[in-house]
Amino acid sequence: MARWGMVFSLARCIGCNACVVACKTENRLPDDIYFTRTFVEEVGDFPSVRRVYIPTLCNHCEDAPCEKACPSGATYTRDDGIVMVDQDRCIGCSACAVACPYDARSMIEEPSNNRGLFGGAEAPAAEPDVVDRWRAGTVVKCDFCSRRVDQGLSPACVAVCPTEARIFGDLDDPDSAPSRLVRSRNGAPPLPEKNTKPKVFYIDY
Amino acid sequence: MTGPAMVGDSFRLGYRFQRHWDVAMASAFFFGELGAGLFVVAMLSPAWPVLALGLLITGIGKPWFHLTHMGVPQKSWRAILRPDRSWTSRGLVGIVVFSGAGVLYTAAVATDGLVPLGEVWRIVAFLAALVVMTYQGFAMSHSTAIAIWSTALMPIASLLYALAGGAALMLVLEGLGLAAAALPALPAIGLGVTVALLVLQASLLHAAHNGTPGAKLSARLLLRGRYAPAYYGLVLGAGIALPLIALVADGQSLVGRIVAAVGLLVGFYAFRVLIFKVGVYEPVMRFGGIGAPR
Repeated sequence: MARWGMVFSLARCIGCNACVVACKTENRLPDDIYFTRTFVEEVGDFPSVRRVYIPTLCNHCEDAPCEKACPSGATYTRDDGIVMVDQDRCIGCSACAVACPYDARSMIEEPSNNRGLFGGAEAPAAEPDVVDRWRAGTVVKCDFCSRRVDQGLSPACVAVCPTEARIFGDLDDPDSAPSRLVRSRNGAPPLPEKNTKPKVFYIDY
Repeated sequence: MTGPAMVGDSFRLGYRFQRHWDVAMASAFFFGELGAGLFVVAMLSPAWPVLALGLLITGIGKPWFHLTHMGVPQKSWRAILRPDRSWTSRGLVGIVVFSGAGVLYTAAVATDGLVPLGEVWRIVAFLAALVVMTYQGFAMSHSTAIAIWSTALMPIASLLYALAGGAALMLVLEGLGLAAAALPALPAIGLGVTVALLVLQASLLHAAHNGTPGAKLSARLLLRGRYAPAYYGLVLGAGIALPLIALVADGQSLVGRIVAAVGLLVGFYAFRVLIFKVGVYEPVMRFGGIGAPR
């Protein structure tokens, strides 16, 4: 069984936000909900200033604090390491959201896309699962596009990245691209002091 | 003052306010701790109307505001399913046990021992009340995400504020002659708990000031930021200074007790709201020397 993870190359990311758009499209997210974001930060002093882009998403932690905080069992980890939310079980208490150090969870207040085509209940023929994809009042987050991963595809954000700044693969396979990058380029997880053992890593170059 | 570090909901790297637990959740915490605290303090001189009031405050106030906060209230019963790992589940178990044993103990007091096993219900209700008084603090301290919450002082804060709230209500109720017997030591108990609250606030700020950057920022928001007026005025002024003055000046009179009780309750509620308001998520990377965190 694979153990899925991702590596972000900070040097390669150009902040085009194609990943953000692809994620919103793939997951049919309401206006104010993002599963992935690309933060921007200016570093250095004039004249030696540069802009750095920092992609973020759910880190699918090995020791996921969100899972421990969830009182209803809605948050669980699949055998392949993807941390999921079962919307049928979620009660919308937000205990998981305040437990996540990465602020990677959002509450769906009123899914605008549940209104369907032209405000009716119909869905476009090409996208039959647009309507009722998300339940109002539940907490949602990135699931590494588990439906795509189950079909042997990479997550939507990885597939569209024009600079290959997002590298997805099996962390248990020592020859996979993310494993080699983490090993050879000192990949580091975000906020390691939180001891959540993320499966997402950052490399400088 | 929020400082340039606060980035709201933008795509900037920086600190973000936690926005998931709001005033409704703070109210649920307040009523849960207040009712259980009153029940425990009332056990010093058990009169069934006061015990019943404690049960009602916890049994109605807490679920009401929790259900207001819940995204899917009709499924809220599911919150009891994971006591093995979630403090929310453990707390819900505590509330159920507290309500059941509390009602039986109150009935035993009201009927003068006609309900069997009164002593057993008293002990079980007391232990369950302790769980209700503290579990919310454990739930907060368990979250490493919000640095100012991630301290062992949170359960102590829950316990002390619950006792303070219970003592505040009891001061008034006993002053009105509703306790089973006079409690001359009650003003001294109120005074002691209020002094403990002062030490607690100093400890919380000290721990935050010497903690992670996120905890420092939260402490700054309380002391010099946008929440400073409410913190100084309500939590410290009304919630600690006013009760201290009222209880030292005239703790035996009804007026002094009412002033102290109102101050304590205002400070208690303000603390519950503010500790949520100043909670911040830290940036996924530290500022300066940007690059992969080492």
